[in-house]
Amino acid sequence: MSEEIKFTVNGTELEAKSGELLIEACENSGIHIPRFCWHKRLEPVGMCRMCLVEVETPRGKALVPSCTTEITEDLVVDTESEVVKKAQEGILEFLLINHPLDCPVCDKAGECPLQDQTMAYGPGESRFVEEKRHFEKPIPISEIILLDRERCILCARCTRFSDEISGDPLIEFIQRGNKTEVNTFPNEPFRSYFSGNTVQICPVGALTSTSYRFKARPWDLKSISSTCNCCSVGCSIELNTSQNKMLRILGEDNEFTNQGWLSDKGRYNFDYLHSENRVLNILEKNDDSFNEISTSEAIKKITSKVKELKNPNIKFLIGSHSTNEEYFVINQISNHLNKDKFLSKEKSNVYFCDDLLSRGYFEEKYTQATFEDLDKSETIVLWSEDIKDNLPVLYLRIKKAVRNGAKLIVFGHTNTAIAGLADFYFGKDVVSNNFDLMLNPAELKDFKNNVEGKRVTAIVGKAAVSQKKESLDKLVDYLNEISELKLFNSFSKGNTFGALQNIHEIKGLNEFSTEFDNEEKNIVFTIGVNPVNSSYFGKAIKENLIAADYVISLDLFINDTTELADLILPTTSLGEKEGTITNMEMRVMKQNKILPAPGSTLSEWEYLIGILNAMGINIEYKNEIEINADLVRDYSDKESLPTFDNLNKPSNLYGVINTKPINITTKDLKKQDFPLLMVRRLYGDSSTQINSPSISMLGSERFIELNSSTAEKYGISSKVGNFIQGSNSISIKIDINNLLPDDLVIAPINRRGFENIDPSKDFEITEARNREELSVN
Amino acid sequence: MKETLLLTKHMRENPENSHLIEVYEKNNGYSAAKKALKENNPGEIIEEIKTSNIRGRGGAGFPTGVKWGFLAEDEERYLVINADESEPGTFKDRILLERDPHQLIEGVIITCFASNISKAFIYVRGEYAKPARRVQDAVEQAYEKGYLGKNIFDSGKDLEVVVHLGAGAYICGEETALLNSLEGRRGEPRLKPPYFPAVKGLYNKPTLVNNVETISSVPWIINNSGKDYANLGVEGSTGTRIFSLSGHVNTPGNFEIEMGCSFGEFIDTFGKGIRENKSVKAYIPGGASAPWFTGEQLDIKMTIDDVADAGSMLGSGAVVVMDEDTNLVLAAKSIVSFFAHESCGQCTPCREGTTWLEMILDRIASGRGRASDIDLLLDVCDNISPGLTWPPKMTTICPLGPSAVSPITSLMHSFREEVESLLPRKVLINNE
Repeated sequence: MSEEIKFTVNGTELEAKSGELLIEACENSGIHIPRFCWHKRLEPVGMCRMCLVEVETPRGKALVPSCTTEITEDLVVDTESEVVKKAQEGILEFLLINHPLDCPVCDKAGECPLQDQTMAYGPGESRFVEEKRHFEKPIPISEIILLDRERCILCARCTRFSDEISGDPLIEFIQRGNKTEVNTFPNEPFRSYFSGNTVQICPVGALTSTSYRFKARPWDLKSISSTCNCCSVGCSIELNTSQNKMLRILGEDNEFTNQGWLSDKGRYNFDYLHSENRVLNILEKNDDSFNEISTSEAIKKITSKVKELKNPNIKFLIGSHSTNEEYFVINQISNHLNKDKFLSKEKSNVYFCDDLLSRGYFEEKYTQATFEDLDKSETIVLWSEDIKDNLPVLYLRIKKAVRNGAKLIVFGHTNTAIAGLADFYFGKDVVSNNFDLMLNPAELKDFKNNVEGKRVTAIVGKAAVSQKKESLDKLVDYLNEISELKLFNSFSKGNTFGALQNIHEIKGLNEFSTEFDNEEKNIVFTIGVNPVNSSYFGKAIKENLIAADYVISLDLFINDTTELADLILPTTSLGEKEGTITNMEMRVMKQNKILPAPGSTLSEWEYLIGILNAMGINIEYKNEIEINADLVRDYSDKESLPTFDNLNKPSNLYGVINTKPINITTKDLKKQDFPLLMVRRLYGDSSTQINSPSISMLGSERFIELNSSTAEKYGISSKVGNFIQGSNSISIKIDINNLLPDDLVIAPINRRGFENIDPSKDFEITEARNREELSVN
Repeated sequence: MKETLLLTKHMRENPENSHLIEVYEKNNGYSAAKKALKENNPGEIIEEIKTSNIRGRGGAGFPTGVKWGFLAEDEERYLVINADESEPGTFKDRILLERDPHQLIEGVIITCFASNISKAFIYVRGEYAKPARRVQDAVEQAYEKGYLGKNIFDSGKDLEVVVHLGAGAYICGEETALLNSLEGRRGEPRLKPPYFPAVKGLYNKPTLVNNVETISSVPWIINNSGKDYANLGVEGSTGTRIFSLSGHVNTPGNFEIEMGCSFGEFIDTFGKGIRENKSVKAYIPGGASAPWFTGEQLDIKMTIDDVADAGSMLGSGAVVVMDEDTNLVLAAKSIVSFFAHESCGQCTPCREGTTWLEMILDRIASGRGRASDIDLLLDVCDNISPGLTWPPKMTTICPLGPSAVSPITSLMHSFREEVESLLPRKVLINNE
């Protein structure tokens, strides 16, 4: 398809792939051509003209932009001729005549392509003596992004990103010629899940983020590569700190996973690390208030409680933000319990904080997909929660595949953000309100024709808590039979796959509340979870925790869950611990430490090992490396084990795919008919987000979605109202979405106010009655 | 010396109502289309156009028959009539649109038949409200008559014509910017390659883009013959051309002549000389983007090749005459301002460079010039159009940027003292 051809640059013969862009081919051979508008992940536009080079043509030498010129056989290029140098100097002078000289107060200074290339290729001084172009300095174009149009060099990177990559073209060029500016449409802010990427790719300081503005100088930053754990895509990131404070997170271009992009949640959800609300010392509850105690006191209290309760149930309620090493330790603990006379393995259980854990396909007959498979597949089939909200960067990868010609087939009625990309959208006519497939997949002609015999990548998972697994099985097994299927399990939360791999017996939240027996003695460990305000079973779990004999929370904040604890053990978080995580491709990636553990915080494993040791159970791990060494024994591919050493090698910086057997069995809910479908939105009232001031406002809106005939049934015509269930009344925004089936109401599961709502019970929706209520939203 | 009326004959003879279909038909209108669709096959028509050797009247002078021959095969192909006439000094398409729209529509019908096209667009300059209305009315009349629509002239062929009004941008006369604008995008020139819309044009389909005057000539060629047309004018510049004469002449206007006479003859005969019997200081031979000629160069022949050989272009056929009293710095500034205002802003050298040139000229004209400004002007020009050659090389995406360079290089080449007289003298230090 793409043969190697020869071409000549500055007298040296080089090789490149036929059709490759000149600028890229030169870059691969170590020849840097200056550029502003060109970005390897965006369509070339040849606008800034900085990358002009001379090529030989039948009519003599000609200046051409190397970002739009494809390599042809025997192309002769000069990137350093006098003509080229003059042109580059000229372009830089043009770019600088209207660029303000505010480098001393500009966030970009020090890592600014305009600054760097001016030093390397620019004229020494300007001959421009007139007044520069003026615009109002920086204007907010969303809650988190500011735009300084004076600094903008109109390279169209941001506008192309929004159009081509994220598909929400909310910023555009307006006016023309010398008056051209980037701006938003009137009354439509740049509210995109991916807006932060435009700040990162802006070649000047025109786009800045509220979170990093004026915080640091690039030369003062310390940085380290790591992996984002906001969802299970596992984006490669760079952590930037200064004076032991996390100041910025950048996307790293990992060809296999995120290709440079991040969601705004992944990028900006870090201020909580330094929040004054963060728990930094061990807290013990006395009556209704918490008192600080020391670590040794705390461990003593726990051991004596265990002895006092005499062989209690030990329930670990774990979340998705722990490392594989921490999950491994949790697993080890439950294996070692029999060694103590007060504890038994049979009475110890691990519950993962996900409502929808009963939806995995891990048997050998299914082939695990990778993100690269998406690029190569002919058809992509999607049956899951909303991808854009739950796996945002996977959404970008799917969009890219669709742009390159893959057919997209979407099932469901809540996946409306991606419906616009779909070639075939099987919504409410095919999928019931509870997400059951209402007919045999073979009956859907458009579906069958596009999957039969094709390379198919499917992203599947239960999309509603009430959904029966057998309904999804029907679709998956059919695909497995008639297509070359590769499959993603769409567990979307952080390191879910790491938990599944490393904990051998794991259950879901459904089981936690149904198995909880008040008559027995119960000790509950909650580890980095807040199910009380982010789960279908929140209300039941709250009652369980109140009824439990002793609750120990390993967490960062006091929240709706940890406030029910008897003891809060403060833990470390992003950048404060080292370990591995596993993404939805089963790619194991490294998280690195760049910050010291603040206050008297410890990592989760340190507390757990400490408690066991205090009880005379002997598991000795001194550090994460030792845990990791034990953990890798179960991995199947012995050649590329995800050890720290291996993952730190340059060749493995972006992770290795390696698998461990996974076995989960959880049951469907008995009740199937829920009038309310609670969905997870990217932003919500998680403890970390509400304690990150730069993005805390983004998850505050409370809303419901329903179609217009359902709205009519409830007698609603206004856009605001109240959601009422029992004594709970929540003022809400009402969104009409006619892709939804009749009689179904969608509400956010992770927004405050909805924590006490029981989706299986009836509710009312009323219109706002007076001005005061209207202004609530 | 006399006019030769091919395209403007009908409107001259029927000054009141030449735009009406009845009048057009009474004067043998639509006979070429009827004849072509009944008697000819498409190949014969393309041959006839090739024989006529007509070259595009939009400015570039590309042989029309050759362009039609480039049109790539595809199920869907389009014809786009470029009626975005905006070059300062050019107003010839305006009369063709306003006073003889049916001649254009007839040309469109024949062109589409010859190239097997069933959808055509007429992109009219935004400011041309009346011409656009006339064309729209004419298209509707043609639909009523069955000359457009389904099964036209009972030939079994269909042809839809859409009249589209621009939004007031000179750059949309650049054919790829025009296509972007038609598609609803920003009017910005596309990157080349692909070089020819005939390969990849409107909606990425093969598209013929032709000027109004070019297509309006087609009915005459079919009614007569390509050979008859080629016999008019001179070799390389066959047929007639409507020149728009303006500036300091006594009688400005549109004049249709055979190409080949000299500019001096043309200005004297049709412009009736210069106002107050002054002499010509400079003139623009082909629209605002063309380099100027001086009063000493009036014997240059009005053909595409003669003008090109002399270092300018016949372009869109706009002759602008400047007499001995003209402040050429202001004249140049006026033209540069136009291009700065019309720059689309897409590429750096044009967006920033044209405005900077305007600012420098403004400074010089208002007495705030600096001794270094001539060098500066020329160097900024050089950064837009390296080497200041003709035809221009460019660092830009399209030729708009270099268009703003033309008046400055002309000024510096032939009238440098006039500029220098406005600048302070260079201060000599140590007798350097």
